[in-house]
Amino acid sequence: MSGDRHLRGLVRPYVVTGGRAHASRNTFDAVTVVIATREQVSGLSPEKKRLMELCRGGALSVAEIAAHLSLPISVTKVLLSDLVDSGHIATHAAVSHTARPDMKLLKDVLDGLRARL
Amino acid sequence: MDRQTPATAFWILLAVVLIAVFLLVRQHRTTRALRVRAERAENWARARADEERHLVDARLPALAESLAHRPVEVPGARSPEAAESHERVLAQFADSVRQATERGEQSARATLKSMMRAVQSLSNEQQVAISAMQERHDDPDVLAGLMRIDHMNSQLNRRAQATAVLCGSWPGQQRSASPLTDVVRGATSRIRDYLRVNLPAESDVAVVSRAVEPVVLAVAELLDNAARHSPPNTSVEVNFQQAHNGMVVMIDDGGVGMTVEELHRAARLLAGDGGSDINRLGDPPQVGFAVIGVLAQRYGFRVSVDTRSPYGGVRAVVFLPTELLTRVSKPTMPDNAVALPPTPRPTGAVDDTVLGRTPGGLPRRRRTQPADQGTPPAPADQRIATGLAAWKRGTESGRATTPPPVAEGNTQA
Repeated sequence: MSGDRHLRGLVRPYVVTGGRAHASRNTFDAVTVVIATREQVSGLSPEKKRLMELCRGGALSVAEIAAHLSLPISVTKVLLSDLVDSGHIATHAAVSHTARPDMKLLKDVLDGLRARL
Repeated sequence: MDRQTPATAFWILLAVVLIAVFLLVRQHRTTRALRVRAERAENWARARADEERHLVDARLPALAESLAHRPVEVPGARSPEAAESHERVLAQFADSVRQATERGEQSARATLKSMMRAVQSLSNEQQVAISAMQERHDDPDVLAGLMRIDHMNSQLNRRAQATAVLCGSWPGQQRSASPLTDVVRGATSRIRDYLRVNLPAESDVAVVSRAVEPVVLAVAELLDNAARHSPPNTSVEVNFQQAHNGMVVMIDDGGVGMTVEELHRAARLLAGDGGSDINRLGDPPQVGFAVIGVLAQRYGFRVSVDTRSPYGGVRAVVFLPTELLTRVSKPTMPDNAVALPPTPRPTGAVDDTVLGRTPGGLPRRRRTQPADQGTPPAPADQRIATGLAAWKRGTESGRATTPPPVAEGNTQA
């Protein structure tokens, strides 16, 4: 991580976010899960490109993304908000919420349990 | 005897007269010669005194002025006889003035250098403290304040660094080889109007470790010049261009450009000529080009500002030779991100997370672990990432059997 630390010292967070400290949306917390919804990354800043690369591999939490990018969580949230606005990523607020629509599986489990008991 | 006496007396008298005449004539001649010599000596002495007055009143002050880098012509000697000895005096004078100036400059430079080093180390400490606070605080208002402080601190650090470099110090801050894009972005983070700088698309060229900080500092000075000498509503354009044996960074501004004298001065300083003389920077001191000149000479890159920009202002060109460049092969990608499943979304019927049903009729699920591929046990954060990915895949596999997953959109605010 020493390389990242050097890099972080080189490009300061205010340059990464273009001077913004306030995210355009406040739907993120450290455990919000993010997935990439778009392949195309042209025109994005290096940090955003890297963020997209990270998320393309699967779902990641905000905290993990921040750690991979060696950026403070608050700065990562600003970037993530931008990417949600531009339609590059989608979020899942929390595990319980996203598990809820999985009705088919739950129904199967219920049916299976009923059949057994 | 009596007859002989007058004759003898006559001869004696004659002889005396002759001797007296001869002596008189000789005396007269000697006097005349002496008078001529005395006159000549007097003239010579007067000329000499004149020459000395000329030396003291005109030549030495003129020489002192010219040694202080003012455009003064040193007048020559009036008479050629005095020239040689006076030239020696002048040469000695010039020598001792030069030595005294050099000593003074050296001690001024040493003092300034150690002062700037103290400022730099404080500013670096402050940056570490700011970074730590940025990590710790999640409140956007706090972050906004920290960013402002961070920005000011970076500018302060650049000033201290530039002054220290001019005083013969190293740029400090050892860094690892960094992509050229990050080097230029690092430079933008050290100037006041960083939001006006437009950066090009990412380049896969990187700058070698030892040249990162000097190039950042030089580019920062150029960007600062460009932003400061152009209207606040214009942008500063940065472009990269591959050259035959290096890489070119072009910085264009839409400002008023430079006059011929300014261009001459810039060219002289950028060539590293006289740039380290801290007494010649003017008031207020213009350190930018002098610092770039010192760095360019020391690290072997070239900077020129003599091209007119198509945007109307100045085009600064930084040429980085191949020796200062290297390649980045995506070193920034962390290992554990690679461990994530490459295709998270199931395509079609093949699904490895639901494996039919148990004898009891329950859906059988299996955890996806990287251990399947015979890899060693993953570190904690990797396990978390994989777990999350597995959860995600589970969710999606569950949905795969239902009609289009409209529910996904619900969670997007």
